[in-house]
Amino acid sequence: MAAVVLQHLTRRFGNVVAVNDLSLEIAAGEMVALLGPSGCGKSTTLRMIAGLLPPTAGDIRFGDRSVLAVPAEQRGAVLVFQKHLLFPHMTVGENVGFGLRMRGLRQKEIHVRVQEMLELVRLPGFEKRRAHELSGGQQQRVALARGLVVRPAVLLLDEPLANLDANLRLEMRELIRSLQQALKMTAIFVTHDQEEAVMLADRIALLFDGVLQQFDRPRALYECPRSVQVARFFRNENVLRGRKEGERFVCGESHLVVGGAKEHPDGEYLLTVRPEEVRISDSQVENSLWARVRAAVYMGTHTQLLLEVEGQQWRVHGPADGCYPAGSGLWIHLPPQRIWLLPPAV
Amino acid sequence: MGRQDWMERLKIWLMLLPALLVLVGLFSGGLVVGLGQSLGYMPVAGLHSVTLQHYLDLLVEDAFWQSLWVTFSIAFTSTLLSTLVAVPCAFLLRDTFRGSRLVNFLFQVPIPIPHLVVAFGVVTLVAQSGVLARLLASLGLLSEPGQFPALVFDRAGVAIQLVYLWKEIPFIGLVVLAVLQTVGPDYEALAQTLGATRWQRFRYVLLPLILPAILSASMIVFAFVFASYEIPLLLGVRFPAPLPVWSIQLYRDPDLNLRPGAMAIGVLLTLFSILWLVAYRRLMRYALRASGGR
Amino acid sequence: MSSFWRGGLVGGIGVVVGLPLLVQVIWSFAFRWYFPDLLPSEWGLHAWRYVFSDSSRVGEALLTSLGIGLAVSLLSIGIGLPAARALALHDFPGKGLVEWLLLVPIVVPGVVATMGVHLVFIHLRIADSSLGVVLVHLIPAVPYMILVMASVFANYDTALEETARTLGADAVRTFWFVTLPAILPGLLVATLFTFLISWSQYVTTLLIGGGRVITLSMLLFPLIGGSNNATAAAISLVFVAPALLALGVTARSLANGPSVLGGLGRP
Repeated sequence: MAAVVLQHLTRRFGNVVAVNDLSLEIAAGEMVALLGPSGCGKSTTLRMIAGLLPPTAGDIRFGDRSVLAVPAEQRGAVLVFQKHLLFPHMTVGENVGFGLRMRGLRQKEIHVRVQEMLELVRLPGFEKRRAHELSGGQQQRVALARGLVVRPAVLLLDEPLANLDANLRLEMRELIRSLQQALKMTAIFVTHDQEEAVMLADRIALLFDGVLQQFDRPRALYECPRSVQVARFFRNENVLRGRKEGERFVCGESHLVVGGAKEHPDGEYLLTVRPEEVRISDSQVENSLWARVRAAVYMGTHTQLLLEVEGQQWRVHGPADGCYPAGSGLWIHLPPQRIWLLPPAV
Repeated sequence: MGRQDWMERLKIWLMLLPALLVLVGLFSGGLVVGLGQSLGYMPVAGLHSVTLQHYLDLLVEDAFWQSLWVTFSIAFTSTLLSTLVAVPCAFLLRDTFRGSRLVNFLFQVPIPIPHLVVAFGVVTLVAQSGVLARLLASLGLLSEPGQFPALVFDRAGVAIQLVYLWKEIPFIGLVVLAVLQTVGPDYEALAQTLGATRWQRFRYVLLPLILPAILSASMIVFAFVFASYEIPLLLGVRFPAPLPVWSIQLYRDPDLNLRPGAMAIGVLLTLFSILWLVAYRRLMRYALRASGGR
Repeated sequence: MSSFWRGGLVGGIGVVVGLPLLVQVIWSFAFRWYFPDLLPSEWGLHAWRYVFSDSSRVGEALLTSLGIGLAVSLLSIGIGLPAARALALHDFPGKGLVEWLLLVPIVVPGVVATMGVHLVFIHLRIADSSLGVVLVHLIPAVPYMILVMASVFANYDTALEETARTLGADAVRTFWFVTLPAILPGLLVATLFTFLISWSQYVTTLLIGGGRVITLSMLLFPLIGGSNNATAAAISLVFVAPALLALGVTARSLANGPSVLGGLGRP
């Protein structure tokens, strides 16, 4: 059974619709990312789930029970903020034990559970420290422990890694993922970083302007985007407009074989291939297109090529050791199984 | 330490020098001269002997202790009342609502207004023939000024308290409001998702965060009222007068022999206020610990 | 909270704050206003005529108050600004003691210091003079200036100045074009309030000025609680004018944070 269900969730601020008719079903023990550019309504959604903001319309269910009437303090949805927000007047131990203390647990039990949790976030023996004595990463781990210790029905994380530097971010990502799996915690986190969403989440809900674009496994968002916008958000700008006829996609003079073409009826489509799936070749082979090099940038692991293909601008990853003078021409091979057809853009 | 470091040090001290000269010279210097005079040491007047006589004279006198009690009770009452009103006001002003900008502005109005102006306003309002008495008269509740309670020059010092409340509530309120705004709504939201009820959020999250501000603002109010002269002189009873009034009246007396006594009162006033500050800091630490902080 | 209570709050604060000031405006235009009349039975301008006449000495006192206030606020800037910067941006041995010495006049009564200073001033022959009064007003004014400006400098990034220096600005230009604009809003408010501190002084002026230096507060004080409320009201309104002006200028910064209150509420 789904642990958290959002049904037609809508939130307006005056005339602005921050979240528009959002429906999601999140399974127990699942980690879901709410992904999108800033201002897309993802934090608003999180606050509504937490109970800090009433929705304008729609329903929020935990299991089979609507929680709209349940105030935030009884909902069991713990929100971990972007800023760690450790209570400055408390020690680390008091911070972690805060939720348990509010529930009226006995000092002894609080102590035991706080110690357990500090060990889980790899901060054993930090109980007596004060928040300002910790590093940024440590503070964020304490904030995480403070949320986890009350065993929430769902853990909500609002850009939990945004304030950390690159190395710490990696470490925290792994910690969050391993804790969530170890505790079989249902978790929803908000991020604007697609890489972070892909690495952490079981499923990603992509939101633009408060509207759900696609809710799927990370792989599907990469390989089977639902729209050009989704493809573009995942850094795939390569599109060609054309017609699908049988097994073939026709664009001007070029004919390309499309794998899995039978799933789509014949008609107008946009063809897309991810930059890293395109192969560079010296000569014309099957399923290839002629392209002109506009610019090439060495990226270490590969070379980023800016190409002109059938009058469109494409970005393609070429081998790092290649030489691609601007203005020269080359052939690009599109593997049939890697071609994905999109409905024509509106 | 290198040459550069010395230059840097020197620069810092040069920046501090004018302020140190003025404040140590005038304030600390004045304090030392005053202390000397209270001990009967006045080289200018050819008096070089040191005596505690002026202090002993005071300490055995009932009037001194009565005066000290009056000083303390005026300061304590006005500090307590202002704090009790100011803190809820700060919470009300934190929310935005229709007219909240106006209320915020009105709340700030008393901050720059001189005490003398407030004193005059309060007198014209609450004197026995003041505006309040007239209002009651127009409602038929009284027919002559004598029926209105005496709130000016009264032993309870109602008018004095009103002046201080009018001035100090906004002061404490704005200090607390500023801290509330710095704290922001997130700590409370966070505590709420962790299961804290409205009362728990106030008691365990907000109160410990604003308590230092409440205590330091109220401490400043207390110190100010404890040492102030104009308002009790204008609106209070002549006897027992608060220590600052007594001290300055003695000092201004044409009889110069009264000056060491005036100074002794002033020094004792200073001592008591420092003692109070120390006690208050202790109290502050205790209150912080009791409220969940360290 | 319901809008009814909010309305009550707005109205209540309005009345409590406005009434003591409004009643003075009415008094200043009252010719006859006897108990139990709610408003004057006869209105008149005699109080204002008196205020503007030479015999009231209001004009003279106004100039004295203004001159002393300006001198005190300018001196406070010169003395307090460098000290505030040193305290806010540098660490050095003895800082705790210096802080204590500079800020202690805020919480320790100035009675003894003022009387002690008076003796010294008599000796230096600057008692009963405006110079003496200016100097004694510095005791409450400078700590306030330091407190406010230290909290301004605490939020100030010196990298701006370093950038200006690398771009070829000398020390004077850096101060004028970079530092000053950055601290100006805070400095303006601090200066206005320092002026008001001096403007509102009574007992220090009385003791050091010895009745020779007549500021507005000297004129107003004996009239309060006396028999001539109309004159007292008119002088009181002149006395309160700069405060109301300052309020118009500083209302925003008061609302925006604790800086005017000198960062007193920092947790």
